[in-house]
Amino acid sequence: MSDLVESLSQDPQSFVHAHYNEGFSLRREERDAIALAGLRKRFKQLGSALPAVAKLAADQGIHEINSIDDAAPLLFPHTVYKSYPLSFLERGQFDRLTKWLGGLTTVDLKGVDLSGVDSIDEWIARIEKATDINLIHTFGTTGKLSFLPRTKSQTALTATINAHCIRDWSGYNSGPDILAHHIPLISPSYRHGGSAIIRGMNFMAVNYAGGYDNALFLYPDAYFSADVISLAGRMRAAEARGEAGQVNIPPSLIARRDEFAAREQGRAADMDRFFEEARSRFGGQDVFLFAVWPILFEWAEEGLKRGMKGVFGKNSILTTGGGSKGKVLPPDFKKTIFEFLGFERHFEFFGMSELMCSAPRCERDRFHFPPVIVPYVLDPATGQPLPRHGRQTGRLALMDLLPESYWGGLVSGDEVTMGGFDDTCECGRTGPYLEATIRRFSEAQGGDDKINCAGAPEAHDKAMDFLVGRTQ
Amino acid sequence: MSFTVPLLLRGQVIDEATVEFGGRRGGVSFRAPDLSKYLNELTLSAPSKMGDLYTISLEEIFDFLAKLGERLHPEDNPYLQESFELSRATSGLSDSILRHHYEGIPNYFRKEATRDIAERLIGIDYLEGWVEQPQTIQRNTRLSIRAVGARAVHIIAGNVPVVGVTTVIRNAITRSDAIIKTPSNDPLTTAAVVRTMIDMDPDHPVTRHVSVAYWKGGDTSVEEYLYDPRRIEKIIAWGGFAGIKHLTQYLQPGLDLITLDPKHSATIIGPEAFADDASLDAIAKRLALDVGVLNQEGCVNARVVYVQSGTDEAGLERANELGKRTFAALQGLPDHLSTPHKAFDPELKAELDALSFVEDEFKLYGGRRNEGAVIVSQSDVAVDFARMLACRVANIVPIDDVETAVRSVNAYTQTIGIYPESLKARLRDRLAFQGAQRLVSLGGAATLMQTPQPQDGIEPLRRSVKWITDERADGDYLAAMATA
Repeated sequence: MSDLVESLSQDPQSFVHAHYNEGFSLRREERDAIALAGLRKRFKQLGSALPAVAKLAADQGIHEINSIDDAAPLLFPHTVYKSYPLSFLERGQFDRLTKWLGGLTTVDLKGVDLSGVDSIDEWIARIEKATDINLIHTFGTTGKLSFLPRTKSQTALTATINAHCIRDWSGYNSGPDILAHHIPLISPSYRHGGSAIIRGMNFMAVNYAGGYDNALFLYPDAYFSADVISLAGRMRAAEARGEAGQVNIPPSLIARRDEFAAREQGRAADMDRFFEEARSRFGGQDVFLFAVWPILFEWAEEGLKRGMKGVFGKNSILTTGGGSKGKVLPPDFKKTIFEFLGFERHFEFFGMSELMCSAPRCERDRFHFPPVIVPYVLDPATGQPLPRHGRQTGRLALMDLLPESYWGGLVSGDEVTMGGFDDTCECGRTGPYLEATIRRFSEAQGGDDKINCAGAPEAHDKAMDFLVGRTQ
Repeated sequence: MSFTVPLLLRGQVIDEATVEFGGRRGGVSFRAPDLSKYLNELTLSAPSKMGDLYTISLEEIFDFLAKLGERLHPEDNPYLQESFELSRATSGLSDSILRHHYEGIPNYFRKEATRDIAERLIGIDYLEGWVEQPQTIQRNTRLSIRAVGARAVHIIAGNVPVVGVTTVIRNAITRSDAIIKTPSNDPLTTAAVVRTMIDMDPDHPVTRHVSVAYWKGGDTSVEEYLYDPRRIEKIIAWGGFAGIKHLTQYLQPGLDLITLDPKHSATIIGPEAFADDASLDAIAKRLALDVGVLNQEGCVNARVVYVQSGTDEAGLERANELGKRTFAALQGLPDHLSTPHKAFDPELKAELDALSFVEDEFKLYGGRRNEGAVIVSQSDVAVDFARMLACRVANIVPIDDVETAVRSVNAYTQTIGIYPESLKARLRDRLAFQGAQRLVSLGGAATLMQTPQPQDGIEPLRRSVKWITDERADGDYLAAMATA
């Protein structure tokens, strides 16, 4: 055990070599030692390299970190990865957008060729071509997407740790080792795109399934466009304000109208092909599936309508999460999903695109943070960290110790109740956990127009309809 | 803290409060009676029951209101004291500002004030009787018009206490029947006024035609019953987009919706502001008033401020200087007008914090805690969170051409504070076409509000009464039309 404390204190990324379950039997002082060492390491490494962290530290008068709470003022507001002005996109100022992103990562972006870039999708592609960054974008509320400068090796690390979770969650080697023994991968979503899920799925197709030949995507050729999802967000925001119809469509999107229209026409056929291949190529086999609940539910309903039931093998694995935010699911939605899938083994996570490592849900319905994530509960009014003992309710903040090229500290928009600082969960695991009562602060204040990953494909489709309809 | 919000039902006080509600701010909750038990009494079953309002003269109504006003001094009115205590927790206004507004309540009831409203916003003669219209070309006919009251539900806003106060006055003057739904951020002020009225004279026709109730907006068990043309004729709604949108599902012939929509206000400042140091100081002070008075809780408050400083380096320097001075002036506003916001929006704070990641694009003055802030854009673009600006946070946007500002105005723009006067005179027709509804001298957005005047581009009082016509013609003249 002390080996794990030692190695994680030296290098949080060494968690990728650990037995995942051991991260949840650490004693309080061991976990705190890992956290403090990790915070110090990242502060030392990035505190001067990233101007934003340096400035925050200077403003707060923080020169060194002597306790876990010392780092709390250095956590970024959750708006940081979308702090660029929307006008950069509207006016095609991708040079300025790149400069902004450059302030958030130690990866040098100076060599990125921006000539002729007129869309977010193209910008993401250019960065990917010239640097180690596989940019990840989220699905913003107001059409403003967050852009996370995650590297290719970080994406690999994330998916590898995820595989170890499946292998070790109920004890070392209690589950299948899908990195060693490949199983088919099924994704009821896009193959191409820049969301965290899509990025992860592509790594998994190669490393869990052993290659794209052994993977099935609902949309194997289509690209989940950041430009379209951005337009979708702006439309939604305008609608919520009663200003629908005042959204300007960027010319770069109008130029791609034919591409989008063709994709729209193919959508129904894609769905047919997806169900057909799921049955003919992978029916009865044990598979790996990764999708959020609402998408699974939609898929299951459609499948059951087609008379499909118990499609996959009993030892298949589903990883999921995302709650049911933004969609109202019937109380027995899981039953419907499992009836269609033919298996019930699933791992549910609390996570966010900004985190490289998610928190799995235990038998007691609690989400447990691995030791490489340092969670905080902040007083919603003052932003001060609440004591690290007992149970605390407030705003969730997290320091992800894994990334070494960007700052992993973030104050979330979620209101949570956290326990496990000094007690052990009834499931037997130690360390901080979240109760399942997680909600957005904006929701707590009486409204939630956030498009989360659950609603994103639908918003994407809606924006496509709008785009194709409006510009023909 | 726990409060009871009574149901005031046509002169009766019902305070058997059994339902618990959470307030919008401040962690307080309050209890109110179960309204579903009283729905039948809340509405006026037959319009003929409005008759008692016509047994008294308008002059008697003014007298009644004046007498009520004398009892509404907060220092000796226990109901207002209680509502003040609750508002301290639920309102976005600090104690000092709230107190200032509470002290002003009696003024609204002065006879000169209420008579002025009746005369200038409708016409006393129309409220008192049938007004014969001038003879037209049809010499054998005459037309008379009268303004009569209507049965209405008022969904009022709670950002400033005066909204409920004026609703009570407007209802009395128009001889209407009001069911006032109070907001969760100010559930008691209107009730305090009406309760004082009940203490004074529970059987007076004015008292018998005003009820004050709380229900959670969207409660279909209440709303489906109330919003029915058999029971009411008008809904007068202040409020947010979602709230108004929700109401529209109940609309049908016979039910008139008068909306005082959510609005945002802006500012346009011409290059003259930078003429010399003293003018810039004065402009900064006036702008601070438009931003800060009422702690920016009003729709009249300035949020995005277009300044024709130019956008070259020298222009940005000018805009930044104005930003710096405006922030200083904001800090210097007297307590009864403006203070640091007691419940600074944490989401807005997160946006302000994130501005440090785009320092080339935005300069921030203040914004460290709850003191307020002035953001100066370093190009002609407003912040993306312009819609969230509140709690004394404004965004100065430098522009080269005033057209940029004019184009930003739309139907959601209420007040525009303008400097200098000559620019206002030059732009006012165009701003009106664009959608602006109120133009004021810079500094007057939240301080002038001269009454009576139209509101949000409409005349709500004229809309809230029914205009009835009586046409008369000579019998022989009519009969003659039946034969060729």
